Amino acid sequence: MFRNNYDNDSVTFSPQGRIFQVEYAAEAVKQGSVVVGIASKTHAVLVAIKRNAEELSSYQKKLFPIDEHVGIAIAGLTSDARVLSNFMKQQCLGHRLTYGRNMPVRTLVDMIGSKAQINTQHYGKRPYGVGLLVAGVDEQGPHLFEFQPSGMTEEMVAFAIGARSQMARTYLEKNIDKFADCGREELVRHGLRALKESLVQDRELTVDNTSVGVAGAVKVDDGSTKVEPFQVYDQQDVAAWIESVADDKEGGAGAGEGEGEGEGEGMEVDS
Amino acid sequence: MTSIGTGYDLANSIFSPDGRNFQVEYAVKAVENGGTSIGIRCKDGVVLAVEKLVTSKLLKPSANKRIATVDRHLGVVYSGMIPDGRHFIDRARDEARAWRDTFKTPISTADLASRMGGYMQAYTLYQSVRPFGITAIVGGFDSTAEATVDGEVGAGPSCGAGGKVAGKTHGGPFLYMIEPSGLYWGYYGAATGKGRQAAKAELEKLDLGGPAGGPALTLEEAVKEAARIIYVAHDDDKEFELEMTWISGLDGPTKGLHQEVPKALREEAERLAKKAQEGKMEE
Repeated sequence: MFRNNYDNDSVTFSPQGRIFQVEYAAEAVKQGSVVVGIASKTHAVLVAIKRNAEELSSYQKKLFPIDEHVGIAIAGLTSDARVLSNFMKQQCLGHRLTYGRNMPVRTLVDMIGSKAQINTQHYGKRPYGVGLLVAGVDEQGPHLFEFQPSGMTEEMVAFAIGARSQMARTYLEKNIDKFADCGREELVRHGLRALKESLVQDRELTVDNTSVGVAGAVKVDDGSTKVEPFQVYDQQDVAAWIESVADDKEGGAGAGEGEGEGEGEGMEVDS
Repeated sequence: MTSIGTGYDLANSIFSPDGRNFQVEYAVKAVENGGTSIGIRCKDGVVLAVEKLVTSKLLKPSANKRIATVDRHLGVVYSGMIPDGRHFIDRARDEARAWRDTFKTPISTADLASRMGGYMQAYTLYQSVRPFGITAIVGGFDSTAEATVDGEVGAGPSCGAGGKVAGKTHGGPFLYMIEPSGLYWGYYGAATGKGRQAAKAELEKLDLGGPAGGPALTLEEAVKEAARIIYVAHDDDKEFELEMTWISGLDGPTKGLHQEVPKALREEAERLAKKAQEGKMEE
């Protein structure tokens, strides 16, 4: 029934000091389709591959606006993501009511981190089975955070989570120095190219299966910064972007060099 | 590896026949895998430092802080499970604020250590929770100034209980380390995490005043030693980032506040640490 005695619940340490239920929850993230996020000096973008259950069904949404200035991309259990998303929306709204301005992105991310951590320390609870990329802008500029089921949250320059996301991460690592000075359009294109790296063979980006989300903090002529609200683009609104990366040489830049597959890694398990 | 618990290690708060709580011991294992944290208490302040292992090239450099300010004069660093550490810090901040609300004065380092030790211990008592997978180092500088309490009415007694004792001083730098069991001790130099053994060996060589109260390191010297010790304790193969904070008295560089060590001083300390490392290689 179980792989070992220590993986029944999230309140039992293994003799090595690991909590298997949390590690298994992290596996659930790898079941979700891939999402990519990148932050530059002026923008934070999220791009995602959507999946449909069958040919005639609709596609599952991957990007969700949280507040004017923040959006998330999800990989894993969608219903868990909705719980976190609702919580984040409420917190942002509450902050806006109390302080009359946008919630700093780090504050928001720390809140879901704390919430998720509790689920890893109390019996009868389970960790969230979803990973998030949180992109937003605040007074400090654009930010990108990764959230994991363990409650771990880290600020990234760029990141990818979900199925086969290692390929996308490899692309991002190769191009990491370019992102800071990228403009809005170029940043989205980098995201889409990273996404393409993670596609299974014979599949490609289409207007049906691709989502793009952008938030920005752009300097205007009088020296002040203006927030470009987080907005999700689907269908025909992403056609031009997809087209613009379509003629990249097969598989995009630096193809076929995935350093280890995202899946198939096989977890080490106590004997 | 400590012996396996043969059935007595499957739930928290269960004693084995020889009186051990295995789940707490396993929580300590989680700490021993984490990046090294150290704290140094010297004559005029406290330094906290942590080795942050860079797990991905995609992490934003120096954006992810690991040493938290709990109250103006209190800092906490920890090794082990980072989300548990954040929970610990949330609670420590609640305690510090509640103390101010109740007593109209900042919480002392010793009292915070006591409160948080009690909190950690509570997570070893029940099967419905697990112990914290962290060891936390709490550093603080309790004010030495003659201070009235916030919102005080009247002068209060001038001697005896609740009053002043002539010639008695109070406050100063303090350092505590709290383990997953809730056990805590005061330290002159504390280390935890993966490189704790090497770090402890180095800390023991330092002149930290000690119980004898001899001459001790200055705060700036302690910053440089802290950086060097983190470099010594570090496993060369992996990349890491050094994060350091310090707390001095009112007359020192941080004016009684817990603050990040200024970039220039940290970089100088890192330069010296690297140089010391290379010197050692050549020997």
